[in-house]
Parts: sequence; structure tokens; C-alpha cells
Amino acid sequence: MQMASFLDARDVLIEHKILSKEQVYQTLVERICRHHQLPICGDKLIELIRKRDEEASTAYPTGIAIPHIRMEGYQDTVVAMAFLQNPIDFDGVKVSWVVLIITDKSSSKIYLNIVAALLKISKSPEQLALLMSAVDGHAVIHHLKSLNIEVKKDLTIADIMITNPISITPDKLLKDLGALMSDKGISIVPVTDSQGKFLGEVNLLNFLKVGVPDYIMMLDNLNFLSSFEPLESLFERQDEVKVSEIMEKDIDTITPDASVIEAVFEMIQHKKRHLSVVEKGKLVGVVTAMDIFTQIVRA
Amino acid sequence: MFLMLLALAVFAATYLFIITEWINKMLAAMIGGFLIIVLGIVNQHTAFAAIDWNVIFFLIGMMLVISVLRETGLFMFIAIKTAKLAKGKPLNIMLLMFVATAIVSAFLGSVTTIMILVPIVLLIAGELKISPVPFVITMVLASNFGGAATMIGDPPNILIGSATDYSFLDFIVNLTPPVLVIVGSSLGLIYLLYRKGMQVSNVNRARLMDYNDRNLIKNKKLLYFALFILVAMLTAFSLQTILGLETATISMAAGLILLAVGSRKKVEKVLTQDIDWITIFFFIGLFMIVESLVATGFIDVIAGSVIKITGGEPKTTSMVILWLSGIFSAIIDNVPFVAAMIPMIEKLGIYIGDPSKMHPLWWSLALGTCLGGNGTLIGASANIVAVGIANRNGFSISFKDFTKIGALFTLNSMIISTLYIWFRYY
Repeated sequence: MQMASFLDARDVLIEHKILSKEQVYQTLVERICRHHQLPICGDKLIELIRKRDEEASTAYPTGIAIPHIRMEGYQDTVVAMAFLQNPIDFDGVKVSWVVLIITDKSSSKIYLNIVAALLKISKSPEQLALLMSAVDGHAVIHHLKSLNIEVKKDLTIADIMITNPISITPDKLLKDLGALMSDKGISIVPVTDSQGKFLGEVNLLNFLKVGVPDYIMMLDNLNFLSSFEPLESLFERQDEVKVSEIMEKDIDTITPDASVIEAVFEMIQHKKRHLSVVEKGKLVGVVTAMDIFTQIVRA
Repeated sequence: MFLMLLALAVFAATYLFIITEWINKMLAAMIGGFLIIVLGIVNQHTAFAAIDWNVIFFLIGMMLVISVLRETGLFMFIAIKTAKLAKGKPLNIMLLMFVATAIVSAFLGSVTTIMILVPIVLLIAGELKISPVPFVITMVLASNFGGAATMIGDPPNILIGSATDYSFLDFIVNLTPPVLVIVGSSLGLIYLLYRKGMQVSNVNRARLMDYNDRNLIKNKKLLYFALFILVAMLTAFSLQTILGLETATISMAAGLILLAVGSRKKVEKVLTQDIDWITIFFFIGLFMIVESLVATGFIDVIAGSVIKITGGEPKTTSMVILWLSGIFSAIIDNVPFVAAMIPMIEKLGIYIGDPSKMHPLWWSLALGTCLGGNGTLIGASANIVAVGIANRNGFSISFKDFTKIGALFTLNSMIISTLYIWFRYY
């Protein structure tokens, strides 16, 4: 689907004056309400947008803000946007492109794909400059068409994964791993070589298992033990044991072009809450069950 | 003749793979077992008919019983109690564990006993900060000794018991007396070998004595019920001739009752994790391969030549069987060895004629294979399992380490058995 198809030229605002956030919202809402039949409009809609803003910032570091309203009783997706010659401040982010998206209550896929497409544009300075140079809505739509900006039908892992993930090399010691885990608050770390080639994963349980010998795992129960020296001496062994000795090598990974449902399937099937995203042997990202939950289910 | 050689080739190749463990031994046995059908040495019907289902279901039944018994915490209780009873003194622990291992193994099988008790001994030795290796080795010896005492203790005895008409009580009457002497003399040997050198600090001993054994029994009700079923099972084994039930029926009855009562919510877990299907299918494969040697007449030929050498004289024949089994069981796993020996002894019976003269032959086979298993690291399944557990925990036990001790104890036990067979039966 073409991005341009979601946009009406009349809903595009090219603004040279200095406006406040409120004024931008007001203008966008005015235009959208004039051209579309919306169940909620006017001040009520502005109020909804303001509430959404308070929940969490809608601005992205690339200078785009995407407020999103899920409207009861509305069966379509409509987009309005404003290009601002004078950027406005969104919680510390200079925003020169505000896009208001109104969708129905249930479907989030199209919305997420539109956001993904918008973010992609905002990351490219050339594309962004081209759009900013437009003189009116028709020009913006023309440029979107000429840039061939597509709204993908289906979301892929690449759209929701964390890029530039934290990773560790196998020659690192346990204490390095421990520091990394506690600093970043993560319990699973992908292991790569210095070139970024994916080698496996190491998790907190692998770490703790260093203090628990194999024979302990073979006992029927442990309730007669109140303390256990090897576990207590785990601290001392942190300087001897390397990540390579405890990492797991046969790890199921996922590719960036895999679908979200594939990731969910993998997670449930293998009881994992974390998947390393690997492309041509290289680690390109990680995706967690929480990412899917917050970005898809709760978005 | 050609088929016999072909069967022998499959047999030799399979046993070579089993001994060297180039591939998983269950896989080797199953490939060999079906190869004899594919090659047309025996047809599928004959090969399947050779599978001793009494052995297969006996093993499955026992695995079910043990699975529920483990659940109750009984074994941990026995092991920890034993260590505390020994007051944390290493030599005492070793001696008491030797006895405990032999007793448990006589009733629950050597391999299971080792799988349950070795991890605990590794823990205890770790707490005492002494090497667990002598403990592991002596416990393996004890498990094979104890296993030799009953029909259900050691895989070779299970196979012999199923192939013959001997009852559970026959095994006890004929095999327990020499095993008691062997265990007693082995305790003396352990005392001589290990009385010096194992020093433990008071601090480490105190850690061990601190173990709280009150919590070890997790489910008292289930324990009492399981013990009741266990005793009932052993009683049924003893009354086998009166009841007219085979061992598999009795062990499956006990296993299924315990599964239904104790683990009914975990049936799937028990079936997938607690039943050692590798061992089950290993036995199935072995039965099929050995059948090819029987069907093609190879066993007949061997039995004939044994009679030629011994002149069919029972005393000489049983001595030959005892020592031949002892030596071979030390070199190769005693299960495949005894699987091949059973049909041979059956054939000898035809040559010898008088059934009463056959008894010492069977008991010689049982003692030879069970005790010979202690001769080297690879002699019996329990040895391999124990060394595997020790190795995984960073205590490597080499072939030489084990054999040095094993050979000494085996020699002792073989001499006792020779005297026993000699004076009791002739």
C-alpha cells in the first residue's frame, strides 16, 4: 500500500509561522474534522491528543512526533500532518514534523506500519528535506509517491527489534558479564565475536550454574542443605571462568524479515522470552516478549 | 553355513560398536537387530518372537516402582542418614555406603542404585573436601556384588532368571550366601586399602553433621504406601511358584499401582523421563541379534566344542563357565555377553542330559558375569554410569584407576565363588 493513499492533500499543513504545540494540534484537528466524518471531534479530540501526550511522549529523536488516537466507532485510518519551518519543543526534542493518526479501536497493524514507514523517512535526511521543501499538500503527496513510500502489509521483526543490541565476546570473564548484566538490567546477552558474528547466548542461569555442580542437579531434593559452599564461592570464580565456558551454543535465532507471529511462536514453543535476531550469521538485533507486548498488543 | 557366517559378522560388528561405543550402544543393538532381518538371516516373526518380553516388562515395571520411590525422598534419606551414622568419618562412610549400596542394589538393581547414590556421595565428599574417587569406585563394586545376590539385582541375573525356571527364592538360596561372604571380605579389603590417608577437618565434618534429615522424606503417606507395595512385590517374587505369576507381571503390577496412586498427575513425565528407553531398546536389539546366532546353529557349534573340551563333565564345565564369564564380562559389557551365553548353556543342557546337573552351570554363569563386571571400567553398566557421572563433575576416573581396584576385588570375589561352587555343588 502506498503511504500517499492514507493522506488527503487538504489535511497537510505547511506552516512558516511560529506555532505552539496546542496551535498545531488545533489546526490539524480542524482540518481533519472538516474533511472526515469522525465520531469525536473538536475540543474533545484535542483533549484526547493532549491526554495521549501526557501518557508518554509521542516524539522520536529524528524530529518527528506521531500522536495516535484509537477512536471508538471509527472504521478507518486517517492521517494528517504538519511541516513546521520553526520546530517546536516536545519534551526536549525539536520536532518539525507532526503526524496525527486516527484509527479504529482494534486494528493496530496498519497504524504500526504507517509509523514504521514514517520513521524510515525521518531517518533519511534527503527524503525528509524533500518533503520539507513541499509548498502544499499536493506536493507532499507527490513526493511521497515519487519516493515510493510503502506501508508494508505485515510487520516484521526488523520493525520492532532493538537494533545495536548489547552483546559480549566469548573471551570475557564472568565478572565482565556480571557487570554488564547488572548495569544494563538484562538477564540474557547474545555472544558474538569481534566482527559481530553470532556465536550463542549466555543467560543469568548459566552464570549461576557455575556455582552448582552437575551432581547437585541429579539429587532428588535439596531441602537438607541450608548452605552450599560452591554457590557461595561463585564470587571468587568470577575471575577465572570465561563466557565461552558457560554460553549456550545451539540457540534458535530469528531473521529480521521473519513475521511477528513467527517470533511469538518460537518464544512459546521454546519457552524463551528473548530471541537474538541474526542475519547472514551476524547479530543485528534482539527482540523480547516484552517488546512484542508493548509495541503490538498494548500499542 | 553362509547364513551362520553372515549372522556372526553382524554379531561381531554390533558387539564391536557396543564395546567401543563408536555409536550409541542402543542404536548399535537396534541396527544389528534389524539388519539380521533385512539380510534374511531370520524372518521378522522369528526375530520378534526371540524378544524376552518378560525381561522387557520386568525392567519397565521396576523403573516405574523406582520412579515413585525416588519421589518420596527415601534414597536421599538412606544416603544422608548413612553419612551421619558414620559420624562424618570418611572410612566409616565408605564402609557403610558399601553395605547400603549392596543392599539397595540387590533389590532395585545396580544401575539405578548408582544413579541415585553417586551424586550424593559426590556432594558428601565435596563437603568433606576429600576425593570422591575411592568412594565412587567402591560403591560401583558394591552395586555389582549386591546385584549378584538376587534375581532382580543385576541385568545378567534378570536375563538368566527369565530364561530359566529358577524362582526369586532359588536365586536367594543359591547366590546370596557367596555374596554375603564376598561383601564381608571386601569390607576387610577396603579397611586395609583406605584406613590411612583420608583426613577431614572438624569444620567440614560439622557441615555434614548439620544436614537436616528431617525434611528428606517429602511425602510420608506416599512413602509408607510405596514401601508396602515394595514389600508386597518382593513377597510376590518369593511366592512366584505358588502364585504362578512371572516376574514381569509382578513388577508391572507394582509399578502400575504406584504410578496410578503416587504419580497419576505426572504419568507423561514418568514415561518420558523416568523410564530408560535406551536400556529397553538395547535389550530388544540384543535379543534379536542373539536369535540370529541361535537360529543359524552357531551357538550349537560353540556348545558342542565346549562339551568336547570339558568332556561334558559338569564340574569342569562349571569352572570353565565361571571363569570364562568372569573374564569376558570384565572385558565386554556383561549384558550382551550373558545374552549370548544363555542359549549356549541351554544347548549344553541337551548334551549333558540330566537337568539336575545343570544347576551349578547356571549359578556359575550368574556369578561369573555379575562379579566379572567389576573387573574393569567397562565390565558392567553400573561402572560406566558411575564413571560418567564422576567425569561430568570434574573427577576423572581412568580405566587404570578403576581396574587397579576393580581387578583386586574381582579376583577376591571370583576365588570365593570358585570355592563356593566347588564345595556346595560337588
